[in-house]
Amino acid sequence: MTDTNAVLGYATPLIVSPGEEIAFRLSSAVLGRAEARIVRVRCADPDPAGPGIRVAAPGSAIDGTVPLRHQPIHPGSFGIVADPQGLDGLASLSVGVFLWPTTPGSGEQTILSRWSGAAGWRFGLDGQGRLCFEVADGARRWIVTASRPLLEREWVFVGAVLDGASATLTLIQRSLDPQAGRDRSETITASGPARLPDTPSAPLLLAATSTGRDSPPTDRHLDGKLDRPRLHAVALDEAPLRALVEAVVPAPGDPDLLAAWDFSRGIPTDVAEDVGPRRQHATLHQLPARAMTGANWDGRTQSWREAPWLYGAIHFHADDMADCGWTPDLTLTIPTVWRSGYYSLELTAEHRGERVESHVPFFIRPARDGHREPLAVVASTATYLAYANSALRLDQVHAEAMLEGLIVLSRDDVYLQAHRELGLSTYDTHADGSGWCTSTAARPILNMRPRGNVFNYGADSLLLDWLETEGIGFDVVTDEDIHRQGLSALAPYRCVITASHPEYVSKEMLDAFDAYQRGGGRHMYLGGNGFYWRIAFHPTRPHTIEIRRGAVGLRTWEGEPGEGCLAFTGEPSGLWRANGRAPQRLVGVGFDAQVFDRSGWYHRLPDSFDPRVAFIFEGVGAEERIGDFGLRGGGAAGIEVDRADATLGSPPALMLLATCDRLGYGGIPAPEELRTLHRGFTGDQNARVRADMTFFPTAKGGAVFTTGSIAWVSALPHNGGANNVARITGNVLRRFLDPAPFKGFEDRA
Amino acid sequence: MLVNDPQAAHYKIDPSRINLAREFRAAPKGPHSDELQRVLHRMRWSAPGGRYVLVALEPGRRWMLARIPPTRGTPIETFPNRVFTDLAEAEWHVFRLRWRELTGDDLPDDLA
Repeated sequence: MTDTNAVLGYATPLIVSPGEEIAFRLSSAVLGRAEARIVRVRCADPDPAGPGIRVAAPGSAIDGTVPLRHQPIHPGSFGIVADPQGLDGLASLSVGVFLWPTTPGSGEQTILSRWSGAAGWRFGLDGQGRLCFEVADGARRWIVTASRPLLEREWVFVGAVLDGASATLTLIQRSLDPQAGRDRSETITASGPARLPDTPSAPLLLAATSTGRDSPPTDRHLDGKLDRPRLHAVALDEAPLRALVEAVVPAPGDPDLLAAWDFSRGIPTDVAEDVGPRRQHATLHQLPARAMTGANWDGRTQSWREAPWLYGAIHFHADDMADCGWTPDLTLTIPTVWRSGYYSLELTAEHRGERVESHVPFFIRPARDGHREPLAVVASTATYLAYANSALRLDQVHAEAMLEGLIVLSRDDVYLQAHRELGLSTYDTHADGSGWCTSTAARPILNMRPRGNVFNYGADSLLLDWLETEGIGFDVVTDEDIHRQGLSALAPYRCVITASHPEYVSKEMLDAFDAYQRGGGRHMYLGGNGFYWRIAFHPTRPHTIEIRRGAVGLRTWEGEPGEGCLAFTGEPSGLWRANGRAPQRLVGVGFDAQVFDRSGWYHRLPDSFDPRVAFIFEGVGAEERIGDFGLRGGGAAGIEVDRADATLGSPPALMLLATCDRLGYGGIPAPEELRTLHRGFTGDQNARVRADMTFFPTAKGGAVFTTGSIAWVSALPHNGGANNVARITGNVLRRFLDPAPFKGFEDRA
Repeated sequence: MLVNDPQAAHYKIDPSRINLAREFRAAPKGPHSDELQRVLHRMRWSAPGGRYVLVALEPGRRWMLARIPPTRGTPIETFPNRVFTDLAEAEWHVFRLRWRELTGDDLPDDLA
């Protein structure tokens, strides 16, 4: 057994140019050192039925022994005003906010706090989910606690008031919907100090409390939404405090208004703006979810751009994790002679008698002015990020039923089960049940590296290995570069391959592929369920994506109503199909079904005998079963499959070459494929559950070839590469690399 | 919030239907009869003590029985003495465990 996580790390940047410096940030709780070397990844899938792990070491300046240390991870999002003003020397204080708690009773939580050592104040929830306000001066502690816990996912107006004149603490909570057993409204007063303790060096924290230590620097994080937090230097009664919180824009010129944060401003940023006179902006850490509906959201819009004042909430999670913040252990200037590709810092050691082999993945992009191969393989880094550290098989009730068999965990899954601090994927839910909307590469990603789980990264590497075996040169271009550089990232190539599962696509990426095809580019889409979800990359943070899942699509969680637009850009998220650009429009086919019990094979259709596409089937018999073999489900058509559909945009020029349309009862359609509920929707009875192989010409001599199946590339290595999946792939690739125009399509493209 | 309810699978397995166990034993990956599909869905949806899984000791070659605890973040429970070199044997072993959990009856030994 190979230990794949005794040391972990991440690279910054994840995608690097030749000549640029890369840093590796490493941590091990158990090893003092490891042997490091850079490897170029050819096959990342350890499956003994396939090629097995294949890497090549080019030799680098950092190959050798690397000392290791433990660098902890501190999850939990919060906002911080590092040097708050106006808070010392006060006799009284009022805090008010709308709160939507999601895990009351799971432990102590914080709404707003200022704490240093044994002195300070904290407004939040106690371990039982009851609102509480505690104040301590180092010698004495005062606390007032509500009588009953708050309800999950119910808006409540909450206030905490320290009145120095009467030496009292008062808690106010008013349920916004008090009907039918939901009312938790009450006002409670207890004795308090005669003044607010001074804590001049302490930061002011939203949604967490400062520990005063380095590790962890914060604790008692909030799970839930805060909307319009206000901080005032006077002991306010309930009515004026409530009015202050209700006002989206507080009256100007109130010298006692210490802070009035408006989270609807600067939504794509890490800054929570204070619109009060002191401008005490808070810096947000670990990417809490923004563009969240506030207590005032009433359903009139789904877009925060249209009515930002209805989106004044931030959803904080105690398990948010966007940046581990580790210090670099190794840095390397990438030699300019290295080819683009999938690379890794391989770390090996021995631990408890076991071999340790852990990988820190990165990608090298082609040199801007260097040699380009005529072929580019797209590294689906947006999809890799979407799945980064997926705990779906660990956490989700449906996992085994969906996968149609006993779940096989890798060593990494076992590690992830106990180490949730790594942060999960956009397939997962936070501990409070809400979905993970964002994913970053500033943390170890266990399933985007050699020996990781075979989906995506590992499957795509089977294509890389096949290309190497065939002696076909290629560059690697990443999703993120396509997003940032647009058509310029694709235009140098005669042919571009998107591999097993290019599922997550920004508008910029989709536009780039579209322009590439219209400009005469040739696109081989050798996967399934591609171009499906609409995402955004963060405008400034590298390697950070955002997704919102709504009520449409094959989704492992469903976002809250009104929260379907991306905080990073304001664009609607969800399916491209629901955004007017179904995958069929770009690549001819689009996702129709999952099939995990067994993969199938294709049979040829009449279009495949058209002489204009004879090149595709050279060496393939008329009745031959195509892909009745493969590493995933024993066939080339499976896992997730796509079909052509003119009503969704498959072009008139599309030729339906072959199909796998007998996928059995394990072929289950995507939810958006069903209008109404009825029996007979599974693959044994439903001809629309299928994988279609298609070809169509595009403008200026371009063309698109598709296989409509995630399992396709996993069939390439069968029988040492001597098989009809490899033959068809090779036939198409060689022709697509040949600049000669396709004959006979003059009136079709 | 849309949730998958662990209690949603409520098909009641008839302990007298040993023929369904025999069918599974003969073809663990299917295709299966409608009734066996229902039995498997019930077994795979959820388990009160946590879900039985395998941990790959050597990818594609050796697997250890394990169980995912019901609480997130709690380490995987492993059964180092229960190692399989054949996935069909592992499926059958877990099928028997679940049959007992859900029906209260042990499957007869001679079924194997």
